[in-house]
Amino acid sequence: MRGFHPARLLVLLALSLFILLPLVQTVVLSFLNTLPRDGLAEGTPSLINYRNIFASDDLRASLVNSGVYVLLNVALCLGAGLPAAYAFSRYRFTGDRHLLLALLVFRMTPPVVLSLPIFILFAQVGLVNSPVGIALVHCLFNLPIAIWILESFISAVPRELDETAFIDGHSLPSFFLRHLIPAIAPGIGVAAFFCFIFSWVEVVFARILTVTGGKPITMAINALFTFQTDIGLVMAMTVISLIPGVAMIWFVRNHVAKGFTIRA
Amino acid sequence: MRQAITLGALLLPALGVMGFVAVLPLLAVFNYSFHDIFSLDQAFWIGLDWYQEIVTSDRFLSSLVRSLLFSGVILAIQIPLGIAFALVLVRLHPVLRTLGLMLVALPLVVPWNMIPMIWLALVNPDTGLAGRAMAGMGWAFDYKFTALHTWALIVVMDTWHWIGLVVILACASLSAIPAPLYRAAAIDGASRLAVFRHIELPRLAGGLAIVLLLRFVDSFMIYTEAFAINAGGPNGATTFLSLDLGEDIKAYSYGSSAARAMLSFLVVVTVVWAFVKITTRRSEG
Repeated sequence: MRGFHPARLLVLLALSLFILLPLVQTVVLSFLNTLPRDGLAEGTPSLINYRNIFASDDLRASLVNSGVYVLLNVALCLGAGLPAAYAFSRYRFTGDRHLLLALLVFRMTPPVVLSLPIFILFAQVGLVNSPVGIALVHCLFNLPIAIWILESFISAVPRELDETAFIDGHSLPSFFLRHLIPAIAPGIGVAAFFCFIFSWVEVVFARILTVTGGKPITMAINALFTFQTDIGLVMAMTVISLIPGVAMIWFVRNHVAKGFTIRA
Repeated sequence: MRQAITLGALLLPALGVMGFVAVLPLLAVFNYSFHDIFSLDQAFWIGLDWYQEIVTSDRFLSSLVRSLLFSGVILAIQIPLGIAFALVLVRLHPVLRTLGLMLVALPLVVPWNMIPMIWLALVNPDTGLAGRAMAGMGWAFDYKFTALHTWALIVVMDTWHWIGLVVILACASLSAIPAPLYRAAAIDGASRLAVFRHIELPRLAGGLAIVLLLRFVDSFMIYTEAFAINAGGPNGATTFLSLDLGEDIKAYSYGSSAARAMLSFLVVVTVVWAFVKITTRRSEG
């Protein structure tokens, strides 16, 4: 079945071209000077865009802001998702399938639908302009995904693991820490990966919940669009915004395809 | 009894978070949609007036049709294309396969508001790689004023963005097929088409159910990417349901935007429900 097939390699090549072309364009532009500057003609290769990013307090702060709420979101989703996934996998209770399905519906709920009441609700409890607010609201779509991925990984672990651990006198929390988490480590990695990227790329909530401060990287990029946009700077910022995601892809590269096994 | 307490404790954190970020806001939208709201302290009960006004308006109906058409086009392109790529990838050397999967995952990690920026830069006739190539071939690509070109740009952009999800999930289903099945088919002298029809397609169906749903909902409610390309133009040709809703929210008409939001939510829930009904009946029967 596996041999040298020129046709297959050609398909791979076409796919690579399609995926990479826009990214190549982005990287190239990020290394060009795109505004007329003293002593630097437009279109000259230069590192000026990257230097400008690190010279700007707003841009640097936005990188930190995004990092903080994304990590908080991953922690929240795993912390709340793991026990729930365990419950869905090991217990049979009235309406369990319906509850799992309801969670799925919330993943499908368009952010625009809920943006207005979420803003009002979060403003009342003081979660606007705070990374905690964004981390919390991103659970709307990430928590169902985390539960769903973790549930399929836990269900692949034989029940004997639980039973022997409880006979050995482990409590539920110590069973989680000592046995379950090591057994489904790849699943936790995949769940963390999806939570990370979906939180990192989200725009609608991140915008409405940051009115005056705590701007994430996506909004910092939007703010760069002015009457005379430095497109090179925008592209350099985009390249930097890709780095964490690319690193995450590298970490889970051998597991990501196993993440979604659906049991309806 | 002890078991019930344990179960409750396990589910409580997740249900608490979902209650706060999903159920409460949804109830609030539901409530707003029956009110005429000047400011949040001045709301007047008007019953189903908003719904009646919206459902009978041409604006709503045409954007609904546009959104459904867009989702149809997206599914018709991305699902077969994703499966085709997955079929090729699973037959490659494992190292190449992993490389291919990493490659298609790349667009998934690009912030959503940057995706249209990247594509606009790409098709820019003066500086973009694709734009210059098209200009060189004498192709007049005008996404600003030609509706068909705007649609094409959004569809290609969305395919670039999401094809990875389809490929990754299709690959997951395909690589779970045991090798003896393929060997048996080879001994029987089954054609390539027969192998796909009787071995690969049934395995794909289960895993693809979820990707079909996700792609439907996300394309049906496309907002950030579509808005940045041409703000719903030219002449409203790409004003999808969510863009319509966005206009209402920006105009601070809370009541009518809430009703619009509920209608969108209703369409999504109906489709998910119908889909689950159909797929579970098929797997039981």
